[in-house]
Amino acid sequence: MNPRPDILSTTRLVLRGLTGLNILLGAGIAVLLSTSFAAAPWLQKALGAQPEQMTGMRLVMLVGLAGIPLAHRMLTRLSTMVETVRDGDPFIPENAARLQDIAWALLWIEVLKLAVGAVSAATPFAIDPGFSLDGWLAVLLLFVLARVFALGTTLRADLEGTV
Amino acid sequence: MAILVKLDDLLHARRMTLSQLAEQVDITLANLSILKTGKAKAIRFSTLEAICQALDCQPGDLLAHEKE
Repeated sequence: MNPRPDILSTTRLVLRGLTGLNILLGAGIAVLLSTSFAAAPWLQKALGAQPEQMTGMRLVMLVGLAGIPLAHRMLTRLSTMVETVRDGDPFIPENAARLQDIAWALLWIEVLKLAVGAVSAATPFAIDPGFSLDGWLAVLLLFVLARVFALGTTLRADLEGTV
Repeated sequence: MAILVKLDDLLHARRMTLSQLAEQVDITLANLSILKTGKAKAIRFSTLEAICQALDCQPGDLLAHEKE
């Protein structure tokens, strides 16, 4: 028995769990958004919101919904990358493309955070969008890593045919 | 590819097998086979030197350029 925890298996499980949670979150937001139209007074009372806050709340829900496919893209790409590590050959051009996909998704998620900030500033519905320089730095880092990965796979492909 | 590897001809002329060459130059039989069949993308100078030394030949005896 291997006493060391299999980090890759754990990561795979965590990613699957997060992917499921993300889908549930999307469904939850969709239900809330529908309820905000179908039963606005009830939702206001349930959330303790003021009527003038409803437009801002709906806009934030819309932005949240837009983030669900982006997060899904990130999580599934990362899952596939973890699978390639498990298979023993992660240095493939497809993974460089996946890393770049993740970078783009994270960039759009940061843009969505700005949108939440704008809604929060323009309407009475105040919410903390979680502004942080870390997110933007992560985007830059991922784009650079994707490029490094792409160059690395090209170099390896060259070396494979070298005798 | 426009570069021809004439390892087969050289080995035939020296009455040597690929396995014997692999032992002499300390390169795996698999890699020498890749070179012999023209599937190699590149050759290291160290490999070229080792083969030339073992077969007592010049790089030009081993490689040739064919116009496409």
